[in-house]
Amino acid sequence: MLEIKNLKVRIGDVEILRGVNLTVNAGEVHAIMGPNGSGKSTLALVIAGHDGYEVTAGTVTYQGRNLLDLEPEERAREGIFLGFQYPVEIPGVNNAYLLKAALNARRRHQGLDEIDAFEFLKLAKEKMALLGMDPKFLNRGVNEGFSGGEKKRNEILQLAILEPKLAILDETDSGLDIDALRSVAEGINSLRSPDRAIILVTHYQRMLDYIEPDQVHVLSEGRIVRSGDKSLALQLEEKGYDWLREAATA
Amino acid sequence: MKSALKIDALREAVARMPNDRLSDARLAALQHLDDQGTPTTRHEDWKYTNLASVIDLSNQWLADGAESAPPGSDSATIDAVTSRFDANWLIIANGKVDLDSIALAQEAGIGVALLSDSIATFDFDAPLADLNIALLHDGLCLRIEAESELSKPIGILFIDNATAAVGVTQARVEIELAAHSEASFIEYHASSGTASHYANTVVNLDLGDNARVSYVRIQDRHHAHSQTNRLGVHLGRDSRFSHCAFDLGGKLIRNDLNIQVTGPGASASFHGLYLAGDGQHIDNHTRIDHRVGPARSRQEYRGILSEYSRCVWNGKVIVHAGADGTDAEQTNHNLLLSENAEIDAKPELEIYADDVKCAHGTTIGTLDEAALFYLRTRGLDAQEGRQLLTRAFAQIIVNMTPITAMQETISGIVADRLANLIDGVE
Repeated sequence: MLEIKNLKVRIGDVEILRGVNLTVNAGEVHAIMGPNGSGKSTLALVIAGHDGYEVTAGTVTYQGRNLLDLEPEERAREGIFLGFQYPVEIPGVNNAYLLKAALNARRRHQGLDEIDAFEFLKLAKEKMALLGMDPKFLNRGVNEGFSGGEKKRNEILQLAILEPKLAILDETDSGLDIDALRSVAEGINSLRSPDRAIILVTHYQRMLDYIEPDQVHVLSEGRIVRSGDKSLALQLEEKGYDWLREAATA
Repeated sequence: MKSALKIDALREAVARMPNDRLSDARLAALQHLDDQGTPTTRHEDWKYTNLASVIDLSNQWLADGAESAPPGSDSATIDAVTSRFDANWLIIANGKVDLDSIALAQEAGIGVALLSDSIATFDFDAPLADLNIALLHDGLCLRIEAESELSKPIGILFIDNATAAVGVTQARVEIELAAHSEASFIEYHASSGTASHYANTVVNLDLGDNARVSYVRIQDRHHAHSQTNRLGVHLGRDSRFSHCAFDLGGKLIRNDLNIQVTGPGASASFHGLYLAGDGQHIDNHTRIDHRVGPARSRQEYRGILSEYSRCVWNGKVIVHAGADGTDAEQTNHNLLLSENAEIDAKPELEIYADDVKCAHGTTIGTLDEAALFYLRTRGLDAQEGRQLLTRAFAQIIVNMTPITAMQETISGIVADRLANLIDGVE
């Protein structure tokens, strides 16, 4: 589904990704871990289409197409979803309005009829119940005055409604208490399917207690320095990242 | 040489006005105007708004014989406005009061009359208010009786028909609310015709003790029309004034909102939205004098500026000695959609009392790129995202419109105007 080859990315003069290779197939869950500043969020934002980064080398292929040619909205309509580490507050834009507009943008692109207000409300309430979200959040401004945990739940609500093919969740676990983490993880697990891929970008192993990844990658200084199965995450938890950095430079 | 109003030509024009009950007031106002002179950018209050184009236009109009435009025959524009908002509409077309509309607006609890039948002398005021009286054909006088319950808002439509020649019009409305009365007003400024025009309007609103007023002003002038507009408000004891203003059109627009808090327990909220496109200049000056306390005032003005436009917001709060218990807040937020747009934002607080709570905040910024990216990752294209974000920025003021039944329609008008600003279509 997603194939990244030798991806090099910089902001200004600073090279952030220095040759990333990653292949993610449909049905798989990959975890990308790594210390602060290793380039995890950059990788997520580049896949989503942020124009603040300059791709200097490499390719990103999504379902056989050159992803880097597409605008962020085209990527979204093609089924890519980025769950933000810091979801933006947009006062005055109604949460329900955005959800419905987003869903209909995708449906139009797929050649489907737009969903009407009644059907949408039914769908949204159903998904909110699943995530333990109060329906009142629908009528608030997008993330306006939401707590950190509420913002993350709202990202997962969007994920659940939009049903993307490829979901990249950037530190969705940060800022969540243990109950919120569990319900968010349940929400993500319920979306695992043979035709969907999920990339979890995370700092800590604890989310992986709830969502079992097929592969774990460690990103350090702009490169994937090690890949393995879920046991790699446990090793990291035990030994920290320095162990790998030392191993890489040795 | 600087532009100055040709006072001799003005004197001749005033002399040609009909001899009626306003004659003495016109002459007195002319004299006062002559003594003061018209404002220039050397005056602090006019630093950012140069009236030269308006004065040149007035001089040309005086030289052409100071004829007023033919009476408003643009019933299509009038109907478009009056059918959009449910109200009892009073119409002042080209500075002439439509007598039929007076008859239609009469109902229990309200008295509507010509100004000349009601008031013969006026307080001297700012120079443009003097000019207003000096050239005033006639105005309206409204009185809302105590304990009245009006069936609908009172609409006041100022419409000017600018045909081939340049036009200058004056309009004036004096409104008095008796103690314990309540009313809603819609002040609407419209244009028909595309020739250069200058309209100068004055509305005074006097709220008796415990009176309640909801007030919505919509200025939707043609882009060749300039306007200076003054709303003076007196707040009696425990009165409540809720105001929202929308500036959508016009070439050079200057609004002065002056509020005098003269009764304890009064509260005033006055908010505004200005949307400026290429070649527009919109200046909002607000001033509230807290003369007694306790009293509360809140204001929030927001502006969206595109292309070569310029806006001014100057919000002055004066808490006079002895006005303890005053609680005043003002904010002004501006969104600049173009590098060529200019905003001059100036909050002014003058506090001469001890026990007061005052706050102000001003922001000037561009569209939030992070928010735009967020929307795009949700499948909205960039244009849609920009529209949504600017609409959201404006909607905060729309949602404060005190006549709630108007909100949806205003929201639509604002969205249409914003779509034009963003697309650069004028």
